[in-house]
Amino acid sequence: MSPTTTGQRIILSDVNLSYGSHQVLRGLTLHVDAGEIYALLGGNGAGKSTTMSTLLGFARPDSGIVQIAGYNPTAEPDRAREQIAYVPENVALYDHLTARENTVYLLALAGRHPAPDAIDGAFEATGLQAAAWDKRLGGFSKGMRQKVAIAIALLREVPALLLDEPSSGLDPRATADFNRLVHDVARKGAAVLMVTHDLLSAADIADRIGFLEAGRIVDEASAQGDDRFDVRELHRKFAREVAAA
Amino acid sequence: MTLIAHELRLLLRVRMAVLTLLLVALLSIAAVVAGMAEVARQRDVIARIQPKQAQDIASIAAWVDKSKDAGSAAYYSFHATWDAPAPLAFAALGLRDVAPYILRVRSLGLEAQLYDGEAFNPELALPGRFDFAFVLVYLTPLFVIALFHDLVSGEREAGRLRMLDAIAGSGRHLWARRVLLRGGLLFAALAVPLAIGAILSHVTGLALLAVLSLIALYLAFWISLTLLIGRLRWTSVANAATLAGLWLVLTLILPTVAHVAINQAIPVGQGVELTLAQREAVNRAWDIPREDTMRAFYANHPEWKDSPPLNAAFHYKWYLAFHQLGDESVAGKVAAYRHGIETRDAAAHDIGWLLPSVGVQSVLARLANTDMQAQLAYQDRIRAFHKQLRNFYYGYLFTDKPFGKVDFDKAPMFAG
Repeated sequence: MSPTTTGQRIILSDVNLSYGSHQVLRGLTLHVDAGEIYALLGGNGAGKSTTMSTLLGFARPDSGIVQIAGYNPTAEPDRAREQIAYVPENVALYDHLTARENTVYLLALAGRHPAPDAIDGAFEATGLQAAAWDKRLGGFSKGMRQKVAIAIALLREVPALLLDEPSSGLDPRATADFNRLVHDVARKGAAVLMVTHDLLSAADIADRIGFLEAGRIVDEASAQGDDRFDVRELHRKFAREVAAA
Repeated sequence: MTLIAHELRLLLRVRMAVLTLLLVALLSIAAVVAGMAEVARQRDVIARIQPKQAQDIASIAAWVDKSKDAGSAAYYSFHATWDAPAPLAFAALGLRDVAPYILRVRSLGLEAQLYDGEAFNPELALPGRFDFAFVLVYLTPLFVIALFHDLVSGEREAGRLRMLDAIAGSGRHLWARRVLLRGGLLFAALAVPLAIGAILSHVTGLALLAVLSLIALYLAFWISLTLLIGRLRWTSVANAATLAGLWLVLTLILPTVAHVAINQAIPVGQGVELTLAQREAVNRAWDIPREDTMRAFYANHPEWKDSPPLNAAFHYKWYLAFHQLGDESVAGKVAAYRHGIETRDAAAHDIGWLLPSVGVQSVLARLANTDMQAQLAYQDRIRAFHKQLRNFYYGYLFTDKPFGKVDFDKAPMFAG
């Protein structure tokens, strides 16, 4: 399914979710439009991972609306997952397969069978060195693995991209490369939701930043002008939210 | 490239999985080869005994021909019986390694002869033969555990599970594909050597199909058990340890306990006790007046009562008569022994419904005709043949008909 460049692709509306007696999401509402990058910031226990699980259909909300490109991940998990490319915090692929073999295999699982040229193109787009394309992943750095994961996401051509702590453990250069890559994906029309606590990275690429605290968005900021965000102000807000949590 | 081909490449890149499958194939090949070699050796021994038997009879015939004494002919001539292995015997040697498959009998008391070969080397018998049944029943579950214990937990521990689940459609079919692939390869590693051995041994298609189905069912049981443990979401190490414990319980401890329980619940004496009882009856006969013995014999076998009366000289018909009376004196014990063995065997079959390892072994030995039923059937054939032998020699002895060289050619032959 080809993504379009308009409309809300990721929708969470008044979502409540509890694990037993512990309520994790409390009326969480956010949406990400096509071509938009939304960074969800929050401290530990704010509900970032649960939000991700809900979007992937792994956690069932008690109430509220969740949609990925029009599909409810709880009611139609397979159809919803067809619309998502998910890049976990630690990209774990198969070490005994090459980057190309991993890509071909995982895409085949998703029902995609791209031509070899298309895979080369995706690798090039991610900046993965050509020498690594046919090497086994055993010796790959975290940044290289993420590039493979992003290449897979690019080749899936899905309308929504979920990134879980993407810059965690990356050096500044790798983070900059990764951000550029995510930016390119968004410009092609995908809605990108990244869960992070890396405020600088979020400020670098996000169009909007939401502050998650105790299962709901307590503040939201949009990029404006050339400076995009007032990072000092963001930092103050984030520190305040984390301290409050 | 199909998804199965992708999965195959993925599996074959894992050294442990490849080694496991290779080891299964090698063990299966080794078991089939060893089983076929043992069956060929037994066939060779059976084939060699027949010309030797002819030589033996020829030398006795030359000597008997001088006296024309049917009693000497009956006393000194041994007649071979044998239990030729069934085509599938190579797969499950069963009782053929501890029970005699050749027995040479005379027309004397049978019970003492039947259990002459019962004493076997217990040290050799304890571990049993290395055959396909051993590989399937005892070793295969370990390989199933090796290949399946971390099917899902391994992905979870590697951090890939969430990503795999997030890929559309894979959750529903991915694990089924992986189970089928691993199970299929394991089945092939076991079944291909067996099928080749079966074809070379002229096993019928139906019997081969039955064994292949049995392999598939046994694999399915262990794979299901492994997947069931996998659903508990424990670590791979915990899965492996639990499954190893279950293997120990299901293949070794419970069958042993069941075996002991059956033996306790159904006490059966040793065959050698029948030998001893029959021998004692025969030895006592020397002290009983010969007329009493003959009277008892004729009462049981009136067809020979018109035989001329004994004179003072030794006559083999008296000797053979008290041997037969010796057999008949232990007939009740023989029937009880047989009933006990059959009851134990039936109980073991029943246990097989609860313990798959026992059940598979039991069915495999039945298909291979190497189980207790096969042993008892061989014993029945020996008894029938021995009866023919007795009647043959009695025809000369009880009518005082001279027995010459050519009469040996008229002796019944064991049909095999």
